[in-house]
Amino acid sequence: MKFRCERDTLAEAISITQRAVAARSGAMPVLSGIKVTAADDSIELVGSDLDLTIRVRIPAQVDSPGVSVVPAKLFDGLTSRLKPGAVTFEVTGDDAKISGGPAQVSVRLLPADDFPKVGSPEGTSVSVEAGPFAEALRQVIPAASKDDARPILTGVLLAATATGLRLVATDSYRLAVRDLPGVGLLTEGQKVLVSAKGLNEVQRVFGTGSITVTLGEREVAFASEDRSVVTRLIDGDFPNYEQLIPDGYPNRLIVAKDALEEAARLMQIVGEGRDSTPVRLTMSSEGLELSASAQERADAKETIEAKFEGTDMSVAFNPQFLLDGLAAIGGEEALLETVDPLKPATLRSTSETGGDFLYLLMPVRIS
Amino acid sequence: MRDEPTFLHLDLDAFFASVEQRDDPTLRGRPVIVGGTGGRGVVAAASYEAREFGVRSAMPTIQAERLCPNGVYLPPRFDAYQKASRAVMKIMSSVTSLVEPLSLDEAFLDVAGAMRRFRDPHAIAEFMRSSIQRDVGLTASVGGATTKMLAKIASDLAKPDGVLIVKPGDELKVLHPLPVNRLWGVGPATRERLDRFGVKTIGDLSRIPEATLVGALGAASGKHLHALSWNRDERGIRPDQETKSVSHEETFSEDKTDRIELQRELVRMTERVGARLRSAGLAGRTIQVKVKYHDFRQVTRSATLDHLTDLAGEIGPVARNLLSGLEIAGGVRLLGVSVTGLSSQGEREEQLSFDSGADLGNREARRALELAVDAVREKFGDDSLGSGAVIDDGRVRADRKGSLYGPLASGEQDRGQDAPRGREGDPS
Repeated sequence: MKFRCERDTLAEAISITQRAVAARSGAMPVLSGIKVTAADDSIELVGSDLDLTIRVRIPAQVDSPGVSVVPAKLFDGLTSRLKPGAVTFEVTGDDAKISGGPAQVSVRLLPADDFPKVGSPEGTSVSVEAGPFAEALRQVIPAASKDDARPILTGVLLAATATGLRLVATDSYRLAVRDLPGVGLLTEGQKVLVSAKGLNEVQRVFGTGSITVTLGEREVAFASEDRSVVTRLIDGDFPNYEQLIPDGYPNRLIVAKDALEEAARLMQIVGEGRDSTPVRLTMSSEGLELSASAQERADAKETIEAKFEGTDMSVAFNPQFLLDGLAAIGGEEALLETVDPLKPATLRSTSETGGDFLYLLMPVRIS
Repeated sequence: MRDEPTFLHLDLDAFFASVEQRDDPTLRGRPVIVGGTGGRGVVAAASYEAREFGVRSAMPTIQAERLCPNGVYLPPRFDAYQKASRAVMKIMSSVTSLVEPLSLDEAFLDVAGAMRRFRDPHAIAEFMRSSIQRDVGLTASVGGATTKMLAKIASDLAKPDGVLIVKPGDELKVLHPLPVNRLWGVGPATRERLDRFGVKTIGDLSRIPEATLVGALGAASGKHLHALSWNRDERGIRPDQETKSVSHEETFSEDKTDRIELQRELVRMTERVGARLRSAGLAGRTIQVKVKYHDFRQVTRSATLDHLTDLAGEIGPVARNLLSGLEIAGGVRLLGVSVTGLSSQGEREEQLSFDSGADLGNREARRALELAVDAVREKFGDDSLGSGAVIDDGRVRADRKGSLYGPLASGEQDRGQDAPRGREGDPS
């Protein structure tokens, strides 16, 4: 097996596929490698941890076809350090000679025959526009749980609605709901739970153009012409999230999003090192005051101009959760609706399209 | 080693027994032994009067009773000791923030920074002793030296009710005549080995070349003891040794095989743990149950909540659940429960979750109830109030404790004041 390609394209392809490579390969050492397949006038790189598989195809001058598995970390590190320009990859015996410019590296390969058949679900395919889909994912994914002890919450719910597609994620502390009208990814009444970690790669890998979505029994594939991300579906019933959203809110606060974001960052720094130091929002007709206090370390407060309707009240949040919400909503102005200091609050944008996204956030109780 | 004897070690004299004598004047001047009174009980503390009969702490109570048949044997009142300890620690903290508590009744202090306010270490020692006598009603002994190790030895030499500050330059004169087992790290095994070298005193030890000691005791131990014998001890005071866990465990006078009985014991222990968490202003997340079997095999099981708690009402069900997963048929000798992952009260902000909404009201109510129980017990004593513990099978039972009488299930033993108590919980 021998091929030549551009260092930059190879390095990019490695860095994308590497994100699916198992951090700990466990029972299958071969999964710590990237599988490289050379055929015709391109090479395909595959990384997988069995739950998530990423493929990238790049153009190459293939002198002799073949398949090899290269240790991912080493492949990534050395390729990014080669001089820009052409890179040659040539296999002799168990080793690959990788050379670029004056440098030449010999790498011991992993046994290619051991690499499992991964990620190519069969089913009907639908095409969606990458841009809006990736944006919707960007908005909901931060709300998904990273705690494997609650597997269902590590997924994003994709559900068909009357008008299109709805994406939902929650880690039980906050809930993000995004509607994508006109996107017919699923058929009526259909819903699937997809790994948020996998969808995060979808969001990173595909920027523009269209992606083909193939929904299989246990996996879903997202593919463009030269890239694909295959991720597993999660079994189980997503919680009944609709009942969490309060019917109405007595208190409404409208505030410039940037100002709130900056102030919340300041409050977060005061409590740095301890996630749990909450930011307190005191709302009145005078406006909004943010404050945070890390005992015997620092205190901060900042007053921001804001429109408030309702009863004066004070509510506290995990600053990161608030910032995640602010980053997710679009527009210039944020609308924060509250019931009381112990009930979920809603964060939205006041802009016209803002209605398509809702971020529900549980407060921190201060005793 | 320092130029000035600014390491102090304060030790309360016969602590548990002294608290008993303080609170009951009829006990003064009499041999008082605090400890487990059941078949396997051990002596937790002996008054100086009892020590004259040869009673020592950690001795089986049965042996103590033979040595001192006319002694007053009392079960420990842990809450009273803790309260006294807290008052003493407060007095030490008024001298310096560099206080390193070793247990409820002893602590190291680094008073180098306090020397400007006091004339000398002796004045500091007397200030603390008179404050403790006046405010807490107990006597304490204080040792002072240029090293931590010698300060502790000095307080021991000063006992009872005394002060010994070892003057700089006099250290070896004090240290060398002492028997070698006064050094930290010299237990019976080491002592026996040193005996073969003819080493009886610390002075004897100091004259053995370091290399010889290393050969006999191993590198770490040999070097360490050699340094100590020359009063070389580089350790400083480590303040803020945060409480890592609050636990309570008991050795039963007879192995228990009845699951319902064990569950009930466990609930009672979680009440103690909850009360101690609240009184220390702490709350924790991880609950651990420990079981030691008749053959001394020991197993632990733990579970972590998604929020901090200091409530027996929350610790209890988790602990019971953990216990229910353990085999007990062979007989349980010791049962314990602990709470770790602690945060102090000031950090008790709680991130609410969508799931916690409903629990919240219940938890508030439960907290109010337990705080009320704390207040009653504070005023009328631990046994004034018991809880009716709901056991897994749905039967409700109540412990009979002091003045509160609950329905007793048939075949159940009455537990009164003289209930067998093993070791009380560690203030670890």
